[in-house]
Amino acid sequence: MIEVFKKNRLFAIYSAGVVLILLVAIFAPYLAPQDPFDGNMRNVLQPPSAEHLLGTDKLGRDTLSRIIAGTQVSLFMTICLVILLAIVGSVVGITSGYFGGKVEMVLMRLADMMLAFPGVVLAIAIAGILGGSVVNTILALLVVGWAKYARLVRSLVIKLRNNDFIIAAQVNGTKTINILWRHILPNILPMVVITGAMDIGTMMMEIAGLSFLGFGAQPPTPEWGLMLNEGRQYIQTAPWLMIYPGAAIFIVVATFNLWGDSLRDVLDPRQQ
Amino acid sequence: MFKWKKLFKRLGVGVCGVFAASVLFAGCGGGDGDSKSGNPEVLKVGVTNFADTLEPTQNYFGWVVMRYGLGECLTKFDEKMNIQPWLAEKWEVSDDKLTWTFKIRDNVKFSNGTPLTAEAVKNSIERAFAKNTRAATFFEYESMTADGQNLIIKTKKPLPGMPGYLADPLFIIVDTTAEPARDFSKEGPICTGPYVVESFVKERAVMKRNENYWDGQVPYATVEIPSIDDPNTRAMALQSGDVDVAVNIAAGDIDIFKNDADKFHIDEIASLRVVLARLNQNPDHILSDKKVREALICGCDRETYNDVLLRKTFIPGKAPVPPSLDYGFDQLKDPNAYNPERAAKLLDEAGWKDSDGDGIRDKDGKNLSLDFVVYNSRAELPLYAEAVQSDLKKLGFDIKINTVDYNLIDGMGIKGEYDLLISNITTANTGDPEIFLTWYWKSNGDGSNPQNGSGYSNPAYDAKLEQLSSEFDAANRRQLIIELQQILLDDAASLFFGYPQTNIINAKYVDGVVMYPSDYYWITKLIRPAK
Repeated sequence: MIEVFKKNRLFAIYSAGVVLILLVAIFAPYLAPQDPFDGNMRNVLQPPSAEHLLGTDKLGRDTLSRIIAGTQVSLFMTICLVILLAIVGSVVGITSGYFGGKVEMVLMRLADMMLAFPGVVLAIAIAGILGGSVVNTILALLVVGWAKYARLVRSLVIKLRNNDFIIAAQVNGTKTINILWRHILPNILPMVVITGAMDIGTMMMEIAGLSFLGFGAQPPTPEWGLMLNEGRQYIQTAPWLMIYPGAAIFIVVATFNLWGDSLRDVLDPRQQ
Repeated sequence: MFKWKKLFKRLGVGVCGVFAASVLFAGCGGGDGDSKSGNPEVLKVGVTNFADTLEPTQNYFGWVVMRYGLGECLTKFDEKMNIQPWLAEKWEVSDDKLTWTFKIRDNVKFSNGTPLTAEAVKNSIERAFAKNTRAATFFEYESMTADGQNLIIKTKKPLPGMPGYLADPLFIIVDTTAEPARDFSKEGPICTGPYVVESFVKERAVMKRNENYWDGQVPYATVEIPSIDDPNTRAMALQSGDVDVAVNIAAGDIDIFKNDADKFHIDEIASLRVVLARLNQNPDHILSDKKVREALICGCDRETYNDVLLRKTFIPGKAPVPPSLDYGFDQLKDPNAYNPERAAKLLDEAGWKDSDGDGIRDKDGKNLSLDFVVYNSRAELPLYAEAVQSDLKKLGFDIKINTVDYNLIDGMGIKGEYDLLISNITTANTGDPEIFLTWYWKSNGDGSNPQNGSGYSNPAYDAKLEQLSSEFDAANRRQLIIELQQILLDDAASLFFGYPQTNIINAKYVDGVVMYPSDYYWITKLIRPAK
């Protein structure tokens, strides 16, 4: 493991950044200097000061505490979403790739339909119909996003399907479920992980975007996109309410994007 | 495939960066040095528009027809809400108080040149009754006849509010003979106002001078009216000179203009509006228990909401009718003023206790969880909702904010699909609060008063309303209205948040911009280039 980091300096740096963000997310309740939900309403829209390093928002809540608490919310939502995308995409992809025939045709035409829609617009529509909440945001983006993974996994499975070791397993009378689990899945997993890792940044942006538009997390959840929207009303008089959540999104998304890129370089030998 | 992914990702980072940068610049830019002196032939007004068409009888769209300087009524309200003649030059009521005679002005023409007669007025009012059921909630007439320039309306019972009812934009006078050749909902109605429609879509209207206007010279050849729904964007449009006049600048932005008094003129007045939360008291709803309603109301620190969060652009709420109208605001007693200790005690008494230690009170296995329906097009509404959510959380309420589109609010209110529902309502659209107090709180047992979907019902209240509806004496009316309000306060019928100031701000190269308390008149013939 250490050797990998030694060989890939950039990967080591980005990984350290990711670990740092994860730690902030996990220990958010202990790191936040003040209660992110409960402010002093007599003390609203204060500019950054020693007491409130990043100022206070429209209800007198500490912006820094809310951003730290928001790390947890945003990361939790994003990681849930990416894991669900990978699972759903893999199941659909493996099923259609391995069994082929009518199953494949139906599933893949469905995927084509999903890919034909403009993703974010469809997600807005779905989240709008379901009503804004954390779960519904994840659902909406899941409905929109699974097709990409399914396509990817299917193409990998089709390549694998006619390999000798699969045919050998079939001839030996191995149960289909075992073939899928023991032979197919391990072979496609690296590609799925890489794609997932590279998607974290994008998905985080989309979640924040939906929340910004009011279709995602609802107040008083400290979600970055939602905080941006709340700060928008005070863009001229209290700009810190937009600058700092914006910077948080920027830093975290950039870190995950760079990390995803370098992870691909490390895991995928063709790229080296 | 990979190329696309990369591009998308880079874009993601790029957009984020550009966004952050633009925020920085917007924060620093003062926006001076690009002031325009204004075009004396073209006026640009930044508004918020809720109307899909300019058909005055559809929903509340008549408000927009009037605000845009297109439609006029028989009567109007001045800056102090006194009724003034408009298309009617005078009126009188018979001794038995059942026959009203309105004398229509002689010199008025519709914008298409047709002269305005009592017959035309009669047809227009009949049209409003035929097309919108709300008309009958104002008044019902036995007969309406036209005699030369005199319009005679006979009613079954005495209706003291008649001149005020006819000032409502629902009764905008339109030329009914222009139909069906002209489709009012597509091309706009033919009216008597200073401007006529050149083009209209919800987002943008262009008005032209009415060459047949009856009341003097119309100052501008063209009025452009973009609808800028976001309050910050509207403020920025005014700052940058994209519009010359803007209505309802939000609390967060108004200081910018106050600090730039050389360039901008602010007309800020106490409006006739109230922001309130309707409380659903139908059986099976948690708020049917009066103790819970009382606890909810006295758990809300309304003074802080209005004085601090909204920076005194709102007056703290107490009663249904705002202090800008003289209906005994100071003598009304609010039994549920802010008192969190009392709120907690009331909840204990009502049997709501936090038995599972999750911070939310419960009773019989049910959490004290309420659905608060709000809409976003007015900046203060979500702020109130979140402040309430935060304050009540300390008492063990779980308030779920449900943000919906403005167009759904009316229906949800009527059907009672809420626990709390926020509204910003005008309290005196006919000159006094009678209609307002009737619509929202009169019993709706038989479905006769659909606006009251909250389930509130008090026979004593209904009896006093009945009395009010035929009372002509001003002092008695005032007393009745005070008593009605006290009943609502004692019953904890609704949560009254506050009373908005309303404003209209203009660049100083425009003159004559006035905000009226009734909120009906934005673009008038009085707005002209400054000398």
